[in-house]
Parts: sequence; structure tokens; C-alpha cells
Amino acid sequence: MRRNTLVFVALCFAILGMVASGKYLARTRLLRPNSMVGDVRGLPAPDFELTSLDGKRVKLSDFRGKAVLLNFWATWCSPCKVEMPWFVELQNKYGNDGLVVLGVAMDDTEASKIARFTSEMGVNYPVLLGNDKVSEDYGNVQYLPTSFFINRDGKFVDKGVGLIDHNEAEKYVQKALASRVVGVNGSAAAPGASRRRSPQTGAQ
Amino acid sequence: MNRARAVLILAWFLAGHALAQEPGTRVPSVTLAPVGRVQVRPGGSATVQLDFRVGSEFHINSNKPKSELLIPTVLKLAASAPLAVASEKYPAGEDLSFPFAPGEKLSVYSGDFSITVVIKAAARTASGEFPVGGELRFQACDRSACYPPRSIPVQFAVAVVGR
Repeated sequence: MRRNTLVFVALCFAILGMVASGKYLARTRLLRPNSMVGDVRGLPAPDFELTSLDGKRVKLSDFRGKAVLLNFWATWCSPCKVEMPWFVELQNKYGNDGLVVLGVAMDDTEASKIARFTSEMGVNYPVLLGNDKVSEDYGNVQYLPTSFFINRDGKFVDKGVGLIDHNEAEKYVQKALASRVVGVNGSAAAPGASRRRSPQTGAQ
Repeated sequence: MNRARAVLILAWFLAGHALAQEPGTRVPSVTLAPVGRVQVRPGGSATVQLDFRVGSEFHINSNKPKSELLIPTVLKLAASAPLAVASEKYPAGEDLSFPFAPGEKLSVYSGDFSITVVIKAAARTASGEFPVGGELRFQACDRSACYPPRSIPVQFAVAVVGR
């Protein structure tokens, strides 16, 4: 009986250890390129510089102080089309509160075709032309759509891989907007206090 | 000891569940079944059936998807002299709707599908075995997301046999 209890306790510890090491590995893997699988919450979003459909260079860091919904998509991805009207709606609803939706098109096609598609879809947010570098930096994005929700401090609030639920997306956006901007001296400013006009989009 | 067994079973179940819950970690597979011996006489032709299998839970666009934005499944084959690829015949896609767009039907291949290829041999050809090679390009999705286009190699040999 005593032996059984010892085995049981040992197994419990082994399982706890496996769960803990799994969680640790899930987080540390995020620090290396090509392995952004698992929990990204709290990690800094890698900066990037991409070209928008209208030919401007856009950096993620241009939007520091704003909440960013970064959506990787492609014209050949049917589930991506489902999310687009939701993101248009979120941009309309939360744009004045500091939300910026950024689409990253992972198509291997001409920008004009992507622009025609986004125009037909009524997309009202900047769409950037993705490349292998940004895909790798964000964990080798292969599965589309994939969305990252980034707070005003440039840290991940959460991510959605595959078609996400509309309400879930809005919940993450609200969470990203609720974050406070940490100043250079470490002091927290109220949401929106550091809002500035984006040089790329003119969005507030 | 029963408790230990129960804990082990629970751990096994949780591990499996955790892996199944990690989207984006699966890779869609399309495989080509081994091609049987193909023979053709000089000046004649041979019909080759290429049997492909799409991994479970995935589908790929058919050769004629319903939108120009969707990437069709295309077989690109090349045969060197004295052989030539005369034609490729694709099966019709299956019209299916998916949870991400219940009101829309997509023309897809899932499970097993076959592409029929006709190979012709030049009239004056010595006997021998000649390779035919190329690739199948496809773009796969599952019920909630899509993967970038991929290609798999397609290779088989054709034996030219004397009259």
C-alpha cells in the first residue's frame, strides 16, 4: 500500500514536471525564429518594415502607443475572407480609441491584384506586402489566417491561428487597447496618452 | 496501483489533447501511390493513372476551382525523347462547403483522386526504359485555415518495348 502511494506521488510530480517544462519550452521556443508556436502573451512583437499597397514603407514601431491587430492573410485563403469584414468593423469601431489593423498579404502575386481584392472586400486598413523575413520573425507563419494582437507597448496580448471567433477577436482587441503605455522612465501613461498621428496612414 | 494507472491514462489523454489543440503545427500531405510498370510500343501510347491521396482533414483545390483567386491543382510533367506527354486528364472536383463559408461551395479534391496521363512514344525508338518526371502543385486547407501552395515530385518510368 505504501509503495503504491509512493508511485502515485512520484507520478504526480513527474506529470507536474512535464507540464511545467512544456510551458517553459513553449515560451522559450518563441525567442527563436521559426518556432513561434505556443503562448506568445507578454513577449515583444518583432519590429518589421514592409511596403504597403500604396508603396509606403511601414514599420510596426510606427504604431507604438496604439493597439495593433496584425493579420497575416492571402487572397487564395477562403477563411481569411471571412475575417476581413470583421476587421473592417473593428477598425471602424475602435479606430478612434487607438486600434490599428494591419493586414500582411502573403501572396506571391502582383500588388495590383491584391489591391483590387482588398478594394472589393472594402478593406479600410493598411495592407502590407509580406515576405519570408516577416513570416520567419513571426514564427514561420504558414497557417492562414494568423492574427497577432499587440498592445500599446508593442507586446503580444494573444494570437489567433486559423479562423478565429469574431467575439474572441474583439475581446483581444479590447485587451490590447486597455494596456497602458510604459514611458522611458518606466512610468505608465493612460491609454491614448501617447497617441500620435501615424506618418503612414494618417490614422489617429 | 489503479490510481497510478489512472494518472498515466489521464496524462496520455492530456498530452494528446494538447498536441491536437496546437493549430498550425500540422502539415498537409498529398502522396502519390507507386506507379505500376508502364509499357509502350514505338509509335504507340500508354495511359497512366496517377493515384494521389490527400491527408485526412485536408482538402486541396481541384484543377478548376470556382474562383480565379484560388490556386488550382496542376500536374506539370516532362518526358524526354523519345517520349512525350500527350495529355493530362483531371477529375472533376467535389463541390463542398466548409464551416468558414457555409454559403459558398468550393471545388476540391479530398481523400483519393487520380489524374490520367497519356504518354506517347516516337515511332522509331529503340527499346529501353525512360523517366517521366515533374511535380504536382496544390494548395491545401483544412476546416479553418489554409497553407501556402506546395509541390510534390511525380516520377515514374516508361518502358519502350519492341514490336
